[in-house]
Amino acid sequence: MAGAFDFVPAIAALPLLAFVIALFAGQYMPKRGAEAGIAATAGSLILSIWTALTVAGMTGSETFYNENLYTWVAGVADSAVTLRLGVLVDPLTALMLVIVSLIALLVHVFSLGYMNDEGETGLPRYYAGLGLFTASMLAFVFSNNILMAFMFFELVGLCSYLLIGFWFREDGPPSAAKKAFLVTRFGDYFFLIGVVGIFATFGTGLFAPVEAASGTMESFPHMAEMAIEESETFFGYGAQTWMTILGLLVLGGVVGKSAQFPLHTWLPDAMEGPTPVSALIHAATMVAAGVYLVARMYGFYALSPQALAVIALIGGFTALFAATMGVVKQELKQVLAYSTISQYGYMMLALGAGGYVAAVFHLTTHAIFKALLFLGAGSVIIAMHHNENMWDMGGLKDKMPVTYWTFLSGSLALAGIVPFAGFWSKDEVLFEALIHGVGTEGTLGAMFLLAYAMGLLAVFFTGFYTFRMVYLTFHGNARTDVARDPEPVRWNVKAPLAVLGIGAATVGLVNMAPVEKLTGLHIDFLHQWLDGPEEGGWPDALSTDLHHYEELLHNVPHVDPAYPIGGEQTTLIVSAALSLGLALGGVLLARSLYGVDEPVEHTDKLGGAKALLTHNYYQDESQVWLAQGVTVPLARAADKFDQGVVDGVVNGVSSVSLFTGSRFRRIQSGVVSNYAALMTLSLVLLLVAFVVLGGVA
Amino acid sequence: MAIESQYYLLLSAAIFCIGVYGILTRQNALLFLMSVELMLNAANINLVAFSFYHGNLTGQVFSLFTMALAAAEVAVGIGIVLVLYRNFEDIDVTKAATMRW
Repeated sequence: MAGAFDFVPAIAALPLLAFVIALFAGQYMPKRGAEAGIAATAGSLILSIWTALTVAGMTGSETFYNENLYTWVAGVADSAVTLRLGVLVDPLTALMLVIVSLIALLVHVFSLGYMNDEGETGLPRYYAGLGLFTASMLAFVFSNNILMAFMFFELVGLCSYLLIGFWFREDGPPSAAKKAFLVTRFGDYFFLIGVVGIFATFGTGLFAPVEAASGTMESFPHMAEMAIEESETFFGYGAQTWMTILGLLVLGGVVGKSAQFPLHTWLPDAMEGPTPVSALIHAATMVAAGVYLVARMYGFYALSPQALAVIALIGGFTALFAATMGVVKQELKQVLAYSTISQYGYMMLALGAGGYVAAVFHLTTHAIFKALLFLGAGSVIIAMHHNENMWDMGGLKDKMPVTYWTFLSGSLALAGIVPFAGFWSKDEVLFEALIHGVGTEGTLGAMFLLAYAMGLLAVFFTGFYTFRMVYLTFHGNARTDVARDPEPVRWNVKAPLAVLGIGAATVGLVNMAPVEKLTGLHIDFLHQWLDGPEEGGWPDALSTDLHHYEELLHNVPHVDPAYPIGGEQTTLIVSAALSLGLALGGVLLARSLYGVDEPVEHTDKLGGAKALLTHNYYQDESQVWLAQGVTVPLARAADKFDQGVVDGVVNGVSSVSLFTGSRFRRIQSGVVSNYAALMTLSLVLLLVAFVVLGGVA
Repeated sequence: MAIESQYYLLLSAAIFCIGVYGILTRQNALLFLMSVELMLNAANINLVAFSFYHGNLTGQVFSLFTMALAAAEVAVGIGIVLVLYRNFEDIDVTKAATMRW
């Protein structure tokens, strides 16, 4: 009987079909291709939920799936590498599939209000882009080897380029699209080298072992684990060092896609794209792809303490760094862009600090509340006739109640206020970072604690900029005529907002680890979901379960939890209270500064820091300088070498033959008699030579 | 009594030299062809003479082949002469000198 797993490829194939339909038949449809996209993503959502239910064991005993479906390059010799496409379904995949297809569906519906109702042109291209974007992300999620993941990772990047540059007739979007593409490509370059390195080292890119007729095909994290145990050497490096090198190379792609420092500069510019696209990019695809990749191959990263330290530090630093920049932004979507960078920093912090569940949890909740915030911002932008400056808004609370209440729900989640989704996940991230930082000895532990401190400080800024945004947009008196009489939005905007608004308030309940630890109730469902059954089942077959990761973290980099303040429960309460208190402090500060009828700018109080923050720490300027001041002269020197030395040698050789040719061609007179004379003369000369030299032999 | 072989060779060499001289000095394409024929026939005389000297027929058979080949060559040659005449209204070989650098 065909089970859910046989239909998993269709989850990505449906949006791909929608892409084709929207591209070629979209202009003949009443909604210009949106119908195909909505139907396809709804189909994907249903299939994803079915898959998730199957993984949960509700439809039978088959709870995981890992098969190679297609061989596109068969290795001929024994040692040759065979390249395959395959599907891996485990609880992490199933969870991500549901999130991505849900967000994609809501974004498609929202687009009806944001694009169709606004009378945009070129909509078939837009919906085709959305379809391909969704399809590549879904296929990336269920890839069972790193090469296939890389291919779809790149496709996601391409689609982001197409969609960010959707309004290509204006100046900003094409340049932002190019920037997004180039910056992420820069990271992906390292990822590609990492992929080649992994194939060269292990001969396989499988994330989890595959049971085939010819025997078990091992996964590369497992082989890496064995190699470290047996102290093998690769290319002159010890196994541990080599795994770190490979891990950091792959991390290059992650840093680019997930917009981590220093490759985060593309993301704020990407706000030039249509708002639903921003929602899709930030919540479920593209940016999520990087973090998901680390979670997918966590068994590999858990083997390298250096890689973990780098991930945690990058994450913690990005969380704080981006949050400070979000504080001074004037445009609604810019604030959200920096909040995205910051929140993905938290996920990286959690992954680096050994909080696998915390990272996946934050990825889940963030997908919901960030999609909500972007769609809410989209709703406000419709109402404001595409003016995004928050200083032109104000008082929208009463004019658009659905948007306001849902946006508030998302903002509370983002700020991490109990009991909204973001509180539970962010608290768990920080808690894991703290206990692993204290429990791990040596530099690694110190790094974790440093990253934790930065993450904790960022909580305050998050609360502040989130509620600065809410107060400026929705509270006080309307500051412009448009804000006094905003354009109403229709059901196709409100319905996705409502779904996500409820989600942002409740999705945190899937993993209330603090409550579980305090009361002993077993309600940490996500934890159990990623941990799997204790005996048999998918953890034994795939080794992608939490228990295995914890063992690895304990055995190889010696990452262990410890509770600095009293026992586990006290530490938990103190940690939660600390992050909640900081978040509330930020919210209250925002309220006192901007929660008045006629708010004014307070950025001048920052003094010299204001210029620094509004210019994003001169990140763009310094990167442009890197390109123009360093790369261009370097390229010019290389060009000179190429033109002068390499081409000079080649040209010199050829000029010799050109010269001799030009002399020799003069004997070609075109007169037959001359040729005959030459032939006769040559023959005579040959004969004379033979006679003089005494014959041939 | 039979004539000594060297006389045949002398005759053949003389005819060959006449042919070469013709090719080097003449401008008329038909005379060119005739000179080539002279050279070919000089070779034929050589073949027959050596055949006679060795007392077998191989050389004579070979010279028959040469004659057949020469006939074909003349056909091609006259064809070229015709084309030459059509294009240049003349059969002077030195005038057809355009196919050069």
